[in-house]
Amino acid sequence: MTTIHLLLTLLTLTLAGFFIGRSKAIAVCSAQGGPSTLHSRPIYYGILTALWCAVPALIVFLFWLIFQSTIITDLVVADLPDQIRSLPEARLNLVINDLRNIVAGNIVGGNISPAIQAAADHYKSLEMTGQAALSVIVTVMAMVAVAGVWLKITPALRARNHVEKVIEILLLGCSTLAVFTTIGIVLSVLYEAIRFFKIVPVHKFLFGLEWSPQMAIHAEQIGSSGAFGAVPVILGTMLIAGIAMCVAVPLGLMAAIYLSEYANRHFRNVAKPLLEILAGIPTVVYGFFAALVVAPAIRNTGDMLGFSVSSESALAAGLVMGIMIIPFVSSLSDDVINAVPQSLRDGALSLGSTRSETIIHVVLPAALPGIVGGVLLAVSRAIGETMIVVMAAGLSANLTANPFQAVTTVTVQIVTLLVGDQEFDSAKTLAAFALGLLLFVITLILNVVALMVVRKYREHYV
Amino acid sequence: MNQEQTTGHLPRRPGRRPLVERTERETVGQTAVENPRMSCQNVGVFYDSKKAISNICLDIGRNEVIAMIGPSGCGKSTFLRCLNRMNDTIEGCLVTGQILMDGKNIYDSDVDVVPLRAQVGMVFQKPNPFPKSIYDNIAYGARIHGLVQNRDETDELVVGSLKRAGLWNEVKDRLEMPGTSLSGGQQQRLCIARAIAVNPEVILMDEPCSSLDPIATAIIEELIDELKQDYTIAIVTHSMQQASRISQRTAYFHQGDLIEIGPTDQIFLNPLHQLTEDYITGRFG
Repeated sequence: MTTIHLLLTLLTLTLAGFFIGRSKAIAVCSAQGGPSTLHSRPIYYGILTALWCAVPALIVFLFWLIFQSTIITDLVVADLPDQIRSLPEARLNLVINDLRNIVAGNIVGGNISPAIQAAADHYKSLEMTGQAALSVIVTVMAMVAVAGVWLKITPALRARNHVEKVIEILLLGCSTLAVFTTIGIVLSVLYEAIRFFKIVPVHKFLFGLEWSPQMAIHAEQIGSSGAFGAVPVILGTMLIAGIAMCVAVPLGLMAAIYLSEYANRHFRNVAKPLLEILAGIPTVVYGFFAALVVAPAIRNTGDMLGFSVSSESALAAGLVMGIMIIPFVSSLSDDVINAVPQSLRDGALSLGSTRSETIIHVVLPAALPGIVGGVLLAVSRAIGETMIVVMAAGLSANLTANPFQAVTTVTVQIVTLLVGDQEFDSAKTLAAFALGLLLFVITLILNVVALMVVRKYREHYV
Repeated sequence: MNQEQTTGHLPRRPGRRPLVERTERETVGQTAVENPRMSCQNVGVFYDSKKAISNICLDIGRNEVIAMIGPSGCGKSTFLRCLNRMNDTIEGCLVTGQILMDGKNIYDSDVDVVPLRAQVGMVFQKPNPFPKSIYDNIAYGARIHGLVQNRDETDELVVGSLKRAGLWNEVKDRLEMPGTSLSGGQQQRLCIARAIAVNPEVILMDEPCSSLDPIATAIIEELIDELKQDYTIAIVTHSMQQASRISQRTAYFHQGDLIEIGPTDQIFLNPLHQLTEDYITGRFG
């Protein structure tokens, strides 16, 4: 029985369990005077039976799948001739790889020694046995579970409470999954970053003013000393994100104020979706827009005014990125401004406030937490954006605050460090993880600070 | 709390004159008063061409409390909101007719609503203090109108307004607390204090006590009674007892029409219109 067949069988059993449980419940209660004598409605007895049928069997199934290959490999390796087993670990892994390839029916280079062939056959037979055992165990478990619940169904069985408990656990699982994924990502980045910091000291990374991630392949090479100072890269990120926010926050906020406070229904119904389309344009499209339209325009304007502007500039990337994140600010701000109760506006207007006074003194303070939330989201988008910067701001890590020069950002450097064939234990590659960690820490600090600001200045409304 | 129940539902005097028929929708009673503060002539309101009220003629006298009663949806709140053009904020709302104040139609195109609303203040059904401190709630209106120049004047105004609204003793130690931290009745008195801080001439109240308990209601009714010495007050209420306790004149609205207007005692003891009698005797509404 293959995996698919097994899952189909389990599904059938589960469905059958549902109907068996439900009909048993109906049968039990009809002897005593109808469904009102049951603790729960019949459908809950059905769901309970189905859950008992499916969940334990699936858990066993999952664990089996996870551990089967490791256990079988260990068994096969233990049976290999001594001369192969005593090979160094790296070579042994190659042998095991060959073995797995033979089992999977792939073409293997070189001659296959009889010992390996025998081991492969052994592997295959173990796998067959395992699969068969799994099928039997899972099917039997499911059936036993159905029978067990069937026997236990009485009017007093609190089926609904049991089902609700299971659903609650399911919901808990979903909510913790996201948390654990985050923790997992942080840990994996942290692990690689620590390896990096063993090669390059932390203070040189954090405070170094030069970024030139080269590592020598052999010692006498020219330019063999790499420089891993993150300051220019971080400053580049800040510069571009700063320009983007200077564009997006005023434009987005004012657009939101117009849409929610001044515009009539018809205009709003047309304009809001159109504005949100901006968020749906792929960033690579923004990227070539920035590189082919905005950057030359800025350079020409600069030339006319007598500035020297490089053809790839932080300003071009920042401007286009700002346009891109307008909808994050405007759409979220619009929603929170709309959520401010009309009664507050009425109160202010009835005191003789003008519309603008009402907005500035009453509506915006009440909407502040949501607006800051939208701005924060926009900041993280700006910091994390890669494509526009690659295309419009260049790759050279200049330490400058001049928006007319080419700069680079953390994310762009991560991409360039990891693209292509890389040696995974070189400082050059590992630097990407250190940069990732730094970016993560910066965003985290930004979030915490913004939260504190909001908590201090927020104005509660009922 | 020594609130006197002046009138309730008293039995009708026998041998009175016949009532106006239920189908008759012309206003009965004395709509005009001498030297009115505001004078409404043929006022109608349409929401997206759906009629809410029509053909309302009513004078609002100086230093009187005029109560507006009627079943839900009869248009009394809509009419009240016409008096300081709060209906302007509702999209698709059209007001017809004239409302004269100091001889000027407030719906004329050259009238600015901002000073009008400073002149005709409003207190709403649900207390709506701003999410600011108690102090700033009161000071807000005066600041935007430039009624106060410095901190001392503001302090004086805040204290004065709170005292007039009868809230001073309860909040004098916590003026920096948010206005929303007060109880419902205190919040409503804060809103009244906020309204009188900008020194209006007319105060509109839209069911100011409907979300309050009887004790808080009694306090606010006492306050209204005191305020009428300096202000003209138009109040919409669902409680007929409240209308009879606090008002000098009462207007009864029914399905968008002003049915009857007259001295409060007369409306409750000896109404002229069958619909009014139906309502005050509890036959509907």
